Amino acid sequence: MLLAVIASLLLYFLDTQLDYFKPVRAALSTAVYPVQKIASFPDDVLRWSADLFQGHQQLREKIMTLEAQNLTNSVRMQKMQALESENMRLRELLGSSFRLQERVQVAELLSVDLDPFYQHVIIDKGEAFGVHEGQPVLDALGVMGQVAEVSQFSSRVVLLTDPSHSIPVQIVRNGLRAVVTGRGLGETLQMEFLPHNADVREGDLVITSGLGGRFPAGYPVGTITSVDFPQGKPFADIAVDPAAHLSTSREVMLVIPGEKIDFGVTYPLQAEDPESQEQSVEPEAVVEQDDMPAEST
Amino acid sequence: MVKSQHGSIIYLTLVIAILLMLVPLPDHLRYARPEWVAMTLIYWAMALPQRVSIGIAWITGLVMDIVTGGVLGIHAFAYALIVYLVGRLHLQIRQFPLWQQAIIILSLVSLVHFIVFANAPVRFSWSNWLTVLTSTLVWPIVYAVLRKIRRSFQVS
Repeated sequence: MLLAVIASLLLYFLDTQLDYFKPVRAALSTAVYPVQKIASFPDDVLRWSADLFQGHQQLREKIMTLEAQNLTNSVRMQKMQALESENMRLRELLGSSFRLQERVQVAELLSVDLDPFYQHVIIDKGEAFGVHEGQPVLDALGVMGQVAEVSQFSSRVVLLTDPSHSIPVQIVRNGLRAVVTGRGLGETLQMEFLPHNADVREGDLVITSGLGGRFPAGYPVGTITSVDFPQGKPFADIAVDPAAHLSTSREVMLVIPGEKIDFGVTYPLQAEDPESQEQSVEPEAVVEQDDMPAEST
Repeated sequence: MVKSQHGSIIYLTLVIAILLMLVPLPDHLRYARPEWVAMTLIYWAMALPQRVSIGIAWITGLVMDIVTGGVLGIHAFAYALIVYLVGRLHLQIRQFPLWQQAIIILSLVSLVHFIVFANAPVRFSWSNWLTVLTSTLVWPIVYAVLRKIRRSFQVS
């Protein structure tokens, strides 16, 4: 028993205190990957058979909605390309560099539950696919979290809802910068350290600010659902509902930093009215509104 | 007595228990997942204390730490501790009726849960402790199943 206690304490110390213990941990995680794969098997079979026995009608409906979605997306994309090249040109005129798009890599979640005290998930891409620690993870709707630990064939991702996770953000409406922290399973996120007089309203869209350099700027984090100013406390109590479907998304995207999507086409800058184009702006395009004055002064 | 084969049954049940800890549950049931591994270890430590040593419990806990992504050494310590306690008390526990055993399980699982909980970055809430309750409730089933396995494979 004494031996077990000493060994546990030693491991605890190595794991929490020493940085160079990480490769050992990664190797151990690689070793247990088959166990996790087996555990996710029943769920995979369920999903597979659900796909198999889907009715003809259902599939048709699904294809219809997807096609409609695809059409609107590609229309939006056309405009994006024009906007992007225009934006780049304007940025060049200002002498500042800014990335609109990052390259992404698709990964899938393993259907295993981890310790319910930690808001972590396992994805099926690891070191073999060039995943690295700290890489931002998105789903189709917004930021999910970041890679916490990489092993050979899988990686562990910390979700936004993990109490140990914080992300630098910005409110789209007024460019107010803040930090959003997780509060645990099934709970909303919390926007921290904003004073009582901060200009924050319910329904405000919150996006990544790009400060800190880990998350690229402009990806949606969530919407503010409630703002409360408790008496006698220094900071406002602000709840943020995450944009990403943290508990239902299966496919996630890993952002590959420092690489730009090349659309292959560049549009000549035209003297169009920029207001009409701003109607369809994606969050990416909105970021610059408050960045610009700072840089032009 | 073919020693290796009988031992492997114990390890097999432990692996199945670990898999049960990983199988996905809906979000609102995640805190209600019974502590399968702890219960399996308690059963074997109670029935065959000479076969399930603290070392096996410790290694099982280590595997749990790795697969669940927690800090290494936490589950290892917790499982080693309960197997040690059961090893000391196994003669009494075996004599208890099932409901008294369930109370022992309640306290042992609470102990495991407390050790894991104390190291987790979460605030206290009663829903976090549902697992202790569900573990106690399913103990009679685990007990019956594992006894059936032990008898039919004559693990000794």
